Amino acid sequence: MSEERAWHPRRAGPFVANRVLLVLLAAALMGVVLLPFAAMAPNRLMSGQGVNVAVALLPWQWLSLAGLAMVLALCTLARPFPSRLARWLTLIIAPLWLLLALYGLGDYAFRTLQDASPAARVSQGAAFWILVFCPVLMIIDAFQRLGSGLAVRGFYTAALVAMVGALFASGIFDGLSIMQEYANNRDTFAAEFLTHLRLVGLALGPALLVGLPLGLLARRSPSARGPLFGVLNFFQTIPSIALFALLVAPLSALGEALPWLKALGVGGIGAAPAIIALIMYSLLPIVRNTYAGFAGVPATTIEAARGMGMTARQILWRVEVPLALPVILSGLRIVTVQAIGLTVVAALIGAGGLGSFIFQGLGQYAIDLVMLGAVPTIALAVVADFLLQILVSLSKPAGTR
Amino acid sequence: MIELQGLTKIYGDKTVVDDISLRVDSGEFGVLIGPSGCGKSTTLRMINRLIPATHGRILLGDDDVTQLPVEQLRRRIGYAIQSIGLFPHWSVAENIAVVPGLLKWPKSRIDERVDELMGLFHLDVGELRDKYPHQLSGGQAQRVGVARALAADPEVLLMDEPFGAVDPLTREVLQDELLRVHQHTRKTIVFVTHDMDEALKLASRIALLNTGRLVQYDRPIELLTRPADDFVRSFIGKADLGLKLLSRRWVHQYQQHATLQGSPAASTQAGYTWEVDATGRPTCLHGGRLHAEDRQQHTEVTQEWSATPDMTMKEALSRMVWFRVMVLPVIDGEGRLIGEVTMHGVMGQQPCA
Ligand SMILES: Nc1ncnc2c1ncn2[C@@H]1O[C@H](COP(=O)(O)OP(=O)(O)O)[C@@H](O)[C@H]1O
Ligand SMILES: [Mg+2]
Repeated sequence: MSEERAWHPRRAGPFVANRVLLVLLAAALMGVVLLPFAAMAPNRLMSGQGVNVAVALLPWQWLSLAGLAMVLALCTLARPFPSRLARWLTLIIAPLWLLLALYGLGDYAFRTLQDASPAARVSQGAAFWILVFCPVLMIIDAFQRLGSGLAVRGFYTAALVAMVGALFASGIFDGLSIMQEYANNRDTFAAEFLTHLRLVGLALGPALLVGLPLGLLARRSPSARGPLFGVLNFFQTIPSIALFALLVAPLSALGEALPWLKALGVGGIGAAPAIIALIMYSLLPIVRNTYAGFAGVPATTIEAARGMGMTARQILWRVEVPLALPVILSGLRIVTVQAIGLTVVAALIGAGGLGSFIFQGLGQYAIDLVMLGAVPTIALAVVADFLLQILVSLSKPAGTR
Repeated sequence: MIELQGLTKIYGDKTVVDDISLRVDSGEFGVLIGPSGCGKSTTLRMINRLIPATHGRILLGDDDVTQLPVEQLRRRIGYAIQSIGLFPHWSVAENIAVVPGLLKWPKSRIDERVDELMGLFHLDVGELRDKYPHQLSGGQAQRVGVARALAADPEVLLMDEPFGAVDPLTREVLQDELLRVHQHTRKTIVFVTHDMDEALKLASRIALLNTGRLVQYDRPIELLTRPADDFVRSFIGKADLGLKLLSRRWVHQYQQHATLQGSPAASTQAGYTWEVDATGRPTCLHGGRLHAEDRQQHTEVTQEWSATPDMTMKEALSRMVWFRVMVLPVIDGEGRLIGEVTMHGVMGQQPCA
């Protein structure tokens, strides 16, 4: 009888301590049971046959996954673990889950392809992605609940990334279709990856150079504000493909008219229209956040600074910029992630970048070639987002953190 | 010294400050008072040129303020405002050090000055030096604001309703501190408020403004006893004029000789006698209550039920009323009995005399 009461929520408080974790866990388990973990196809152009997790993985692998899931399930409850312990356990088990899913997929590809035709392909299925994303969300949630500092999060993330990197380096994924696509495109992959980064950089540099002063102008001059935001908002509403296409004609005309520009690489197709379009898209968030950052500096702080005899330049650099910086950098964060994504589309007008794999893959119905473009793009966006988030936190002045 | 000569500010066709001339001498505590929107802040901010004057001149010492480079001028003038405007990203010490930093004082001198000012305003150096503004209470933040304004030892201190946003209790404390600092530093102060009691408590001269014009510029007592016109009269308010006057009168002005129990005079003088201990501290009052039957009573002297020479008569009267006695002992710094103030004494002389 006393045991029965112990399980009753009346005295013990809520039965479920962490609803987020519970939902994530339930979603992961349901996805894993219902959706294919991997897909097996006779060649790269055929769509694959779904393979369930219990079939794809060796018994010790899926039994380990199940065991870890049980501990996670206990972590969602108010007992037996105290809440802090439950969160730290989540931070240990969720990455194990993730690594095991990664390893299991690679291992399955390796085993299956040993006695299959050389053209056969193994690729990842929906359940695999769920097993990747759910642990990541669990980790984010656990850190939020623990309220851990930046240093702890950064170190943890670096360690996790290093472990995933080690798995890659070990060659365990080499059997996977996406890695075979990588092997086939090894020469171009690094080049396109760098092109992608270069396009993003070449767009963000000038966008910042123009956007930051424009944001300050919007703050200083109310009469400039309206028209400025009107124009920038207009850019933002043009669909990206349309904007890329719209720039082709005038730029090719310009290139024809001015041979020295053409020598610099400015023409109707290629990097120039892509960079110009990316700059146009980046301007609004940069200008808007710069404006908002400066507008958020309390008027009384500025009045006090003036009253104490700071020059306009001192007020700008010592007071306004430090206080506005976190907001400005969050604008940069938005713009960076956006530019990494939009650059994919730039491949359509011959600018190159990771988008070229995606569009090649779409043209050939080779979904794993699409993945070779898409997965690194997403990873790049996530990493950039994470790094800039750290930068935003660091830029918050001690007094306002 | 600050002198305004025909100072005028016109916005469009609206004259916000209208031909104001007045002088606040060195070491004086000048208060600008008037109803909301009468142009007090505008006047104050023309002094450090946060707002340019339309007509007229402002002299700081011998200099016309428009002849000085504006930043240099402002570094010579302390400025404290109601909203304080502390820099949220700097610690208390860094906030106080702003103007000395702008003036390129050596670091050691700045550190010394910060500690000195924090001491002056009863800000615990060990605890608060490295705190950030959002960690301070309202009273502490306002002290830091005033300390910051005084940091570079400016000739003049301008204050725009600095205590307008703190609770009444803290306001009293801050006013007392400001008076103490003023007595200690003898700065020339121009202080804006719309609160007459605050003005009466702090000012050595009060300038009453209405719709941009200077209505009367006088010592507090004169403002109360010889109001220039009906506006002044109504702004002061008739209802507690007597009490307002007593707020500018001090116990030492009303102090009388106290008769000790057992002294020769005790039997001849009417009313009450004091008992003191070996160190001269009053312990007990015999008599001194309104009704006859109370005259036999003894009243124990307590800390609250006593007066000091520099207390206002308004407060002394208030204590008499509260403790229902006709007399208060006046004690010195060591708590020794040095005299008494009586209800008869208060009533016997008009405070304007
Ligand atoms: N920039 C401005 N333009 C027009 N009128 C102003 C401006 N600033 C202040 N005023 C007006 O000047 C008058 C005096 O303002 P102020 O000096 O702030 O009054 P207060 O005595 O309350 O401090 C008010 O009526 C206000 O509306
Ligand atoms: Mg005002």
